[in-house]
Amino acid sequence: MKKACEASVRELPGAAVIELTGEVDGGAAGVLTAAYERAVADGDPGTVVLDFAHVDYINSTGIALIVSVLARARSQRRKVVASGLSEHYREIFDITRLSDFIELFGDLDAAVSQLQSQ
Amino acid sequence: MTSVAHPAGRRLDAFAVASEPGNERMALARVAEAVAGHGLPAPRLERLKTAVAEATMNAIEHGNRGRPELPVDVEVIEDGDDIVVTISDLGGEHAAGPGEEPDLLAKLNGEQRARGWGLFLIRNMVDGMDVTTDGPRHTVQLTMRTGGAPASATEGDGHEEGL
Repeated sequence: MKKACEASVRELPGAAVIELTGEVDGGAAGVLTAAYERAVADGDPGTVVLDFAHVDYINSTGIALIVSVLARARSQRRKVVASGLSEHYREIFDITRLSDFIELFGDLDAAVSQLQSQ
Repeated sequence: MTSVAHPAGRRLDAFAVASEPGNERMALARVAEAVAGHGLPAPRLERLKTAVAEATMNAIEHGNRGRPELPVDVEVIEDGDDIVVTISDLGGEHAAGPGEEPDLLAKLNGEQRARGWGLFLIRNMVDGMDVTTDGPRHTVQLTMRTGGAPASATEGDGHEEGL
């Protein structure tokens, strides 16, 4: 049973968190784009956190969407970090080299702790 | 185009899915069920599932052009220490043809489109990938060794087509 992607956005000092659930595939394009726009609309966050803890599927189209978010963030001089990826998807982030550009954290708490200590 | 012999061995499952977006999830779930208990460690099973999903999505989109009346046929065979999954569509030689190797930095700089990861992922997830075309029938054969060495993270076989 397909679980459509959903996103919630919350602000932290200097950062915005996009918590994703469901499947990150071609159907997630609108959700991810809208979430990014909400995330950067207020407060001009320097960092955007993508939390994948409740994502159970990412396909090649989803990878392309993440690339697009990263490209957009870089053009706006924002950093992107990710949390909550399973070992399998961490490996895919390594193979695609996304992990060269997106710092990976085990969970959202670890990402937030790191950001708040900066 | 390489010529691939149909693997001998024991058929674990054979089924078809309609060429509709999202049916790759059905294929990966059924393949995972078929190979359960046949010696694939969990991380390698996850790799196989990703490869099956990407190959099925490719067959649906690029092979059968999303025509739901056209099936994507999937066969799962245990051949000695190998799990072999064949995924066939009726698209003949895929029009997308060979494409460029995805380069993340080029994509970030707008020099490549963001998409184009499908075959790259497949190649890097499994121990072997072969492609054959026999008339309209286009087949991708994925091979995964049970308990064998992990698939290379960098090796390619020269096949590429866009996703």
